[in-house]
Amino acid sequence: MRPGGLNAALIPIGDWQLALAVILVLLAGGVSAAFNLGLLRSLAWGTVRAFLQLTIIGYVLVYIFRWNDPWITGGLLVLMGTVAAWTAVGRAPTRGVLGAKERGAQDRTPARFLLARRCPVIHLSPLAPLSLVSLLSSTFLVAAIVVGLVISPHPWYSPRVLITITGMIMGNSMNAIALAWERLHSDVARSRREVEALLSFGATPWEAVADSARLAVRAGMLPTVNTLAVVGLVTLPGMMTGQILAGADPREAVRYQIVVMLMITAATALGCLLMVALSYRRLFTADGALAPETGPEKTAR
Amino acid sequence: MRPRRLTPNGTEGIICLMETDGGEFFAFRDITCRIGNPPRRIGASASLVAGGVLAIKAPSGAGKTTMLRTLARLHPHLSGEAWLSGRSWRTFPPSLWRRRVILVGQEPARFHGTLGENLERPFRLGAVKREVVFNPAQARALLEASGLSPDLFDQDARLLSGGEAARMALVRALLLQPDVVLLDEPTASLDHGAAEAVCRLLAAWLSEGPPRAAVLVSHAGDEARFPLVTTLSLPPGEPA
Repeated sequence: MRPGGLNAALIPIGDWQLALAVILVLLAGGVSAAFNLGLLRSLAWGTVRAFLQLTIIGYVLVYIFRWNDPWITGGLLVLMGTVAAWTAVGRAPTRGVLGAKERGAQDRTPARFLLARRCPVIHLSPLAPLSLVSLLSSTFLVAAIVVGLVISPHPWYSPRVLITITGMIMGNSMNAIALAWERLHSDVARSRREVEALLSFGATPWEAVADSARLAVRAGMLPTVNTLAVVGLVTLPGMMTGQILAGADPREAVRYQIVVMLMITAATALGCLLMVALSYRRLFTADGALAPETGPEKTAR
Repeated sequence: MRPRRLTPNGTEGIICLMETDGGEFFAFRDITCRIGNPPRRIGASASLVAGGVLAIKAPSGAGKTTMLRTLARLHPHLSGEAWLSGRSWRTFPPSLWRRRVILVGQEPARFHGTLGENLERPFRLGAVKREVVFNPAQARALLEASGLSPDLFDQDARLLSGGEAARMALVRALLLQPDVVLLDEPTASLDHGAAEAVCRLLAAWLSEGPPRAAVLVSHAGDEARFPLVTTLSLPPGEPA
């Protein structure tokens, strides 16, 4: 511990100062109202959620750090992953995507059974299971490498390291997966004629959408690659900023940030690749033909 | 045409074989599919000898294009079966069926690159690569036969006119040596002379080489230019 205590430089934010920050949301709300963006409700609801979720997780983390139990930590990680996977495809376009029933398969996914049947209020995208697999496997693989080999905390399941690191990977993977799917879907819809022509020449579904799949993985990775190029010049990433605000030596914070950037890059690449590889078949019928674009387009609220 | 069910030794399931006495090369029976809104169910049967042309006739919106797409297994069929040289489409993997029975759509697909690269594009697919190699000389000859100047070979495909692109798509399909071509309005964007050249090219293609056949949807009366023509009137269909 540094002389003067760990939090020597941390300036606490009081209740009233926190409330003042709400003025910033009013600014964004004003823009939405002026240009009729239809975002007011989402904005208000999002602000309330951000306040509540962060406050609750602040308290939860205190307890979890105190318990220091691998099972509780693991449970929280899986919960975080599920929410991220669900969010990634919650507003994703699903026009022309075939669910299990239309493809002639039996609908036996336990998550669907529990959520869609018992609790019809919850809308579960047909892509949610694919998103979950892509997100969890890419995140956990990269997190295992980073936590196990690079940071190697004691004990290895130290929630202070595991939860923060995994959370950062998941947040980025979530956005990347959402972008990759969106691009795959829109590019196949845009080039239907070319995709069907390739199918006519005897292409397999994968061969027919390979160009779109390449664009999709690229689209998912692009924000991360862009950030990689300008980090430190344009952006000072949140984690590094936080460490510096908390009084850490900037040179040490930078080393952490390099590890974080690289692991986010690896996880997004892997997540996008998995998502595209798992989901493209949903655009095709059992006969390997492009599914007709039927049904209403589900748009973001 | 009465399909007979046989179970050959050593194969799984049932393979339907056609009786070959009629010499049908390409046939389909009671193929039905759903089209339009409100949905209608349309169905048709026909058979073709090698070298033959089947002309599908029906008013606009009756489902001619959908029927062609169904025969290419690009549109789901509700019932029915099709045969190629007596072999049922159920015994083909769908992509292999499409590779043998190629649909040339009304709107030609244009890939990135020149006309030449467009003709070569299908040869990057596994199913095509295994069977045929791209022959630029043959491609130029077919282009010329369709009334296109071989100078267009290096032209950007996106800059081609509608008629040029339609002929590019037809040549691209013929280069793959399919058994059947399904042609959706192949001459719609062509003038009289060009349409005649395309039909001559098709007639020559049908008569030479291994057994081949064509299914044609045309408003222009192209079928009159072929010797062996069967006409199929698509019935109006029933609500489904």
